[in-house]
Amino acid sequence: MRKIPLSFTLNGKSYEIEADPGARMIDVIRNDLELTGTKEGCGVGECGACTVIFNGDPVASCLLLAGQMQGADILTIEAMSELDLGHLLQDKFLEEDAVQCGFCTPGFVLVAYALLQKNPNVTREEIREAIAGNICRCTGYIPIVNAIEKTAEHLRDA
Amino acid sequence: MLKFRNYVRVESEAAFKEAIASIEGPVVLLAGGSDVLVQAREDDRFRDHTALDIFGVQAWHAIVETEKDLVIGGMATHAMIADSPLVNRYAPILAEASLSVGSPQIRNHSTIGGNIANASPAADTLASLVVLDAKVVVLKDGKEHVLPLDEVITGPYKTSLSDRDVIVSVRVPKLSEDVRHNYTKIGRRRALSISRMTIATLLQLDGDGVVTKFDMTVGATFPKPAAFPDISAMLVGKKPSSDDIRAVARALSDKIPEIAGIRASTRYKQPVCRRLAERILHELIGDE
Repeated sequence: MRKIPLSFTLNGKSYEIEADPGARMIDVIRNDLELTGTKEGCGVGECGACTVIFNGDPVASCLLLAGQMQGADILTIEAMSELDLGHLLQDKFLEEDAVQCGFCTPGFVLVAYALLQKNPNVTREEIREAIAGNICRCTGYIPIVNAIEKTAEHLRDA
Repeated sequence: MLKFRNYVRVESEAAFKEAIASIEGPVVLLAGGSDVLVQAREDDRFRDHTALDIFGVQAWHAIVETEKDLVIGGMATHAMIADSPLVNRYAPILAEASLSVGSPQIRNHSTIGGNIANASPAADTLASLVVLDAKVVVLKDGKEHVLPLDEVITGPYKTSLSDRDVIVSVRVPKLSEDVRHNYTKIGRRRALSISRMTIATLLQLDGDGVVTKFDMTVGATFPKPAAFPDISAMLVGKKPSSDDIRAVARALSDKIPEIAGIRASTRYKQPVCRRLAERILHELIGDE
């Protein structure tokens, strides 16, 4: 399909690019923008590895078209180290051994970021609900829930 | 690589009308896109189609109330519906069903209009829409038509909609707050599972415990949404006994082979439906 001009904000930076509007958002992010922190697992929205934050909410970037990025405000894992909450989450994921092979980690960190950004007063159950769309085959989830819970506690104590 | 002929995005109803008049060849409407993108990946069925992205039409996102109805925009996401104070107040069973769709990531971008238009028999919201007596507002040939759900969905993945007809809203009569409800979903796991069965129930009792309203149906089981006035009539006007409840549960589960025929799943679904229906009714009536 012929490329069209697309403008959007990604990780706080304004982009004006030409892209195939019928490509998937994940392909634009990984191939056109060369931001390969966003992973493709299943490609059908079931694993959560490709999660990005789209206008404040986590979505599966394998299920959106590039054209749908027009005017959007998007955050990917690459932004996290620059943001206080993102950086804190990264620290807690390491401290709690919530990362093993790491393929699912960007998705989990972004879901946790969107959750805690809206409300740091979350229960363990709410954390579990929030990560229900993300699959991890290494950790057994408990260290991930612990890491998010520790981040929330840190925010509340701060 | 996904195969579409072209991609067009519209942000108003006027632009939509212009687009469907000027686009040549078949159109596939892109609401949230969570079903269309999966289908486009499977094969090249949309090779000749223009993907017409209507998610940006703000007027189709709103959830509002009129005197009698809740009007839920066709592009309202399942997350919006689950969070909506209006839906939670007047049609809480639809909020619960919407919260059981897919995963948080899917719910943030999947829409009620898309869910209906995709017409998957396993769609999580359909059984609730049936007991709520929801009507679908379809923009067709420039005019809005209010249609019953079972005139829109005609079979598994089949609708009466043309490629240029769009579901602009869903109208649900507002329930009085004393109507009790239960939404039950059975899947292989909690998140991201395709429903094996859903059961939606509405029940209203008067001060003496006599049933004044009763609607119950099963989803992910029949080829198209089905309402059962004959089953409603089994309880309305009665103060239900355990025998009445058992009879309703049996009648409801007997609909499975009656409508869907004997399938491999019938041996599982029929008894599960019967036992669940009994449990749900006892719970709603509060007699145990």
